[in-house]
Amino acid sequence: MSAQTYKKKYEISPSGDLPDKMTIYQDCMNTFNESPVNAKRCRLLISRLLRLLANGDTFPQNEATALFFSISKLFQHQSDSLRQSVYLAIKELSGISEDVLMATSSIMKDVQNGSDLIKPNALRSLTYVLDESTAFSAERLLKSAVVSKNPSISSAALCTSYNLLPISDVTIKRFANETQEAIVDLKQFVLLDEASEFYPTSTFTTQYHALGLIYQLKRNDKMALLKLVNQFSSGNALKNQFAMVQLVKIVDDLIHRDTQLISNFETLLTSWLDSKYESVQLETAKLITSFATHHSHLVGNRLFSNAVSTLQTMLSTPRVTSRFAALRVLNRISMVSPEKIVVCNPELESLINDSNRNVSTYAITTLLKTGTAKNISSLISTITKFFHEVSDDFKIIIIDAVRTLSLNFPQEWKPILDFLTDVLKNSEGGFNYKNSIVEAIIEIVSFIPQAKELAMEQLCDFIEDCEFNEILVRVLHLLGKEGPHTSTPSLYVRHIYNRVVLENSIIRSAAVVALSKFALIKNNTPLAESVVGLLKRISDDEDDEVRDRATISLKFIDSAKKNPVGEELLHSKYTYDLSSLEKKLTSYMSSNSDAFKTPFDVTSIPKYTEDEVKAMELKKKQQSFNSSTEELGTKFTDEAEETGKRLDSATYHGANLDEHSKDLQSTKYIDELLSIEQFKEFGSLINSSKTFPLTETEAEFVVNGVKHLFKEHVVLQFNITNTLTDVALDNVAVVCSSEDQESSELKELFTIPVDRLLPSEESACYVAFKKPEGVVMESFLNNLTFTTRELNPDTKLPFDDDEGFQDEYEIDPLVLNAGDYIKSSFVGDFSASFDELPNENVAVYNVQESMSLQEVIDKLIVNTSCLALENTQYAQNETNQHTLKLFGKSALNGTKIALIVKIVKSKKGIALKAQGRGEDATLSSDLVNGLM
Amino acid sequence: MGNFFSSMFDRLWGVNKELRILILGLDGAGKTTILYRLQIGEVVTTKPTIGFNVETLTYKNLKLNVWDLGGQTSIRPYWRCYYADTAAVIFVVDSTDKDRMGTASKELHLMLQEEELQDAALLVFANKQDQPGALSASEVSKELNLVELKDRSWSIVASSAIKGEGISEGLDWLIDVIKDEQL
Repeated sequence: MSAQTYKKKYEISPSGDLPDKMTIYQDCMNTFNESPVNAKRCRLLISRLLRLLANGDTFPQNEATALFFSISKLFQHQSDSLRQSVYLAIKELSGISEDVLMATSSIMKDVQNGSDLIKPNALRSLTYVLDESTAFSAERLLKSAVVSKNPSISSAALCTSYNLLPISDVTIKRFANETQEAIVDLKQFVLLDEASEFYPTSTFTTQYHALGLIYQLKRNDKMALLKLVNQFSSGNALKNQFAMVQLVKIVDDLIHRDTQLISNFETLLTSWLDSKYESVQLETAKLITSFATHHSHLVGNRLFSNAVSTLQTMLSTPRVTSRFAALRVLNRISMVSPEKIVVCNPELESLINDSNRNVSTYAITTLLKTGTAKNISSLISTITKFFHEVSDDFKIIIIDAVRTLSLNFPQEWKPILDFLTDVLKNSEGGFNYKNSIVEAIIEIVSFIPQAKELAMEQLCDFIEDCEFNEILVRVLHLLGKEGPHTSTPSLYVRHIYNRVVLENSIIRSAAVVALSKFALIKNNTPLAESVVGLLKRISDDEDDEVRDRATISLKFIDSAKKNPVGEELLHSKYTYDLSSLEKKLTSYMSSNSDAFKTPFDVTSIPKYTEDEVKAMELKKKQQSFNSSTEELGTKFTDEAEETGKRLDSATYHGANLDEHSKDLQSTKYIDELLSIEQFKEFGSLINSSKTFPLTETEAEFVVNGVKHLFKEHVVLQFNITNTLTDVALDNVAVVCSSEDQESSELKELFTIPVDRLLPSEESACYVAFKKPEGVVMESFLNNLTFTTRELNPDTKLPFDDDEGFQDEYEIDPLVLNAGDYIKSSFVGDFSASFDELPNENVAVYNVQESMSLQEVIDKLIVNTSCLALENTQYAQNETNQHTLKLFGKSALNGTKIALIVKIVKSKKGIALKAQGRGEDATLSSDLVNGLM
Repeated sequence: MGNFFSSMFDRLWGVNKELRILILGLDGAGKTTILYRLQIGEVVTTKPTIGFNVETLTYKNLKLNVWDLGGQTSIRPYWRCYYADTAAVIFVVDSTDKDRMGTASKELHLMLQEEELQDAALLVFANKQDQPGALSASEVSKELNLVELKDRSWSIVASSAIKGEGISEGLDWLIDVIKDEQL
């Protein structure tokens, strides 16, 4: 063996190479089993082992277990430093090895009799070896360690207790007094000799750990938490900044549970904003601002502006992390109420050139959100100056911000488009970057009619010199879709044909499709003829695909003259709901037993017109805003998060939360509904509502309702969850009675009950009604009826001899209103469309409840199921009035309907004036008169 | 030179060599109490051992490494992880627990079949003699079928860990056997 390899094997070389895994394993097994133990060598080996594990290597379970047992033998040696390594190894191996409980007694002995040096390690490793059945045996040990005067020991015991809480809460709950004591007791290290001046004095972290544990222990007891906050917020009770941050978080949890509490905490929060610790300031500012996004009427203006000015000051601190954290909070505020942070603009502008890229990018995006119609152009010129200095990733973020700006301020499209074309043409960048710019421009084309032609021309220029096939294809598709409807279609034909001449086959085939759409322009025969001429020339192309497409196009064009089907194929007015199309196709493929003899039935898939697709896209964009602000609430435990969410959704059924999963859920409901035999004869489903909660979420039976509309039928779906643990429900049905029995136009047909609902199961019960054609509005009073059957705890099935007994449970009413007959739709120019529509109806409302403007707006959007246009879905915070513009289409016959709602808030309440116009007179008046 | 001799001398008497001794037996037999009676000479309050306790003690110039393994049913399967290099096994029996003598006997014979324990001496403590109704050493011996053991030095001693009776007698015998056979 040469000196070189010898060295490599036994010493850690400077480059940090380790011997291979098997060598380490063998060395460990041999050395650890030796007697007497060589402590020094064992420590070296353990450190290698730990290094290996830290690098992500792992051992199969049997080897890990063998390692664990051999390491457990090292408990015979009394060296403290070896013992510390052993604890680290146990901690790492506990995840992969079996039977770690074999170390329990040895660890407990160390906790009891070991030196102060190893006690914390021993205590912490208890977390890994104890389980439900053994945790109680450590109770006394942990308890006395919690009250230890040594801060490290106390902290370790508190952390272990915290981690054991989910394993054995019965044991840990007995520690409440000791934990409380540990917060009060300011533990310091006992310094014994002169050298001790070099040791740190206590940071009082114990307080943080103790506060964390006590919160977990008392989280369900609001009064206890309030007491806790009162006790520790006064004076100098807390010395540790993490503990103070934790206290802020407890307050956050409390006010999310009971929003009225915020007023009690106002003084406290204000004083925290001036805390000497930045972390406390930050956390407090975060709490105030995030709370204000959901409950703006509860947060005083002074408190909010104090919070903002705290953040503002933090923007100019020398520490990058503080700047970043403050910016992050400001950025989130900017998503909902940018006008509130305009005061910070000077600081934000100075951060644009911050040396830290994350900070500068965040500053820009925040600035862009604070943009108003007035300052957009100046903002954009600011960005243009430094834009070329940042990397692609940041450029994309900026482009995205600019893009949302264009949606919010459609009238300011000119400087935005100029900026986008400038960066598109004059900067270098990869595919993702260019793609994001093109996407932004495409969005302008589809949502801002005034900017359409100019934007398309810019795209045409761009594709003259574009290296990315994917982008080229997208642009060509867009030109084909929008080009024929512009004033100068021939311009686009020229650009598209240029591609055919110059580019590769992928692009050529895309160009052919785009080109063919120009052949069908009405009243422009010369252009159509020349397009046909071009297509004929292309049908000699050397590429198969291109030739095929050209030939097919020619065929279609030819037939379109006689037959509208061809036109439909070229100019498709509908797109299918892609996710359900995919699902149906998959099930068609997998279930097809007759070898594709029956054709795929495309009619069952929902179709959308172009306007509807746009409406959905716009809605999604608006919602992605909301959901990002939703995260704003910082809740530090899952459960708190849930309560928070529930509270939000209780005030705010509006466009928030996880929309995507809701979408999926509603598709699921529809599929389930349509698979039931009885509903097949109702024809196709016209509209399905969102899911409405009909009970409290903590009720014994949680029920939510969905309304499904057919042409002549209504189906109410009730999703019932049995939250009881030991009772099953049989024959669960919902008895729906119309509020006004005599005049009801609906006739109940049948009910499909749930046969049996086991604990924690969810199932749906349906009630079907026959309704006359047209709009019927009705309010249903609902009663849940069921038979309870007690469960045999062994079989989890009802006792056979148990007859069960009938019971009833009242749930909230469900209202079928005009909004259920409407689908949201998009229109580029709202005012013009509104003026064109006939049948005006006006109604005035007075809302007495104390709601904020935003809550009223959200409720209106949900009730009407219309799409809010021109960015009117957000209330401006300073003002007391707002104008909401809504647009939709009838789900029954597709007639348009537009609504302008003026909302004025005064001391007495909120006054609404709704002005509705629609092609369908009854729908328009029903909608206007059934708003709230 | 003197150093050399003394270390030779030490080696002769085995001072530097540590002897591994296991204390085994059913749960509640008094293994942990015996261990600490040996180490600190006192009766300590114990709880069921989850895992093991290990102590090093010097007895008659010999360094003993004594392992007290938990006796609960769930822990017995892990005994074998600690059999390697064992000089002697101390098997502790609760003499008052007549019902579980069969179990104890089974565990004992199962353990002694292990390859790694072929050369280990066996000392059985018929413990808890202070309690009324305790079987005598010879009765326990019969229950455990000790006479069947071949090729092994074994002995049974009546003991009371609480009172400290019989423990040192048993250990004296064990040390003598080990010195004779293994050093």
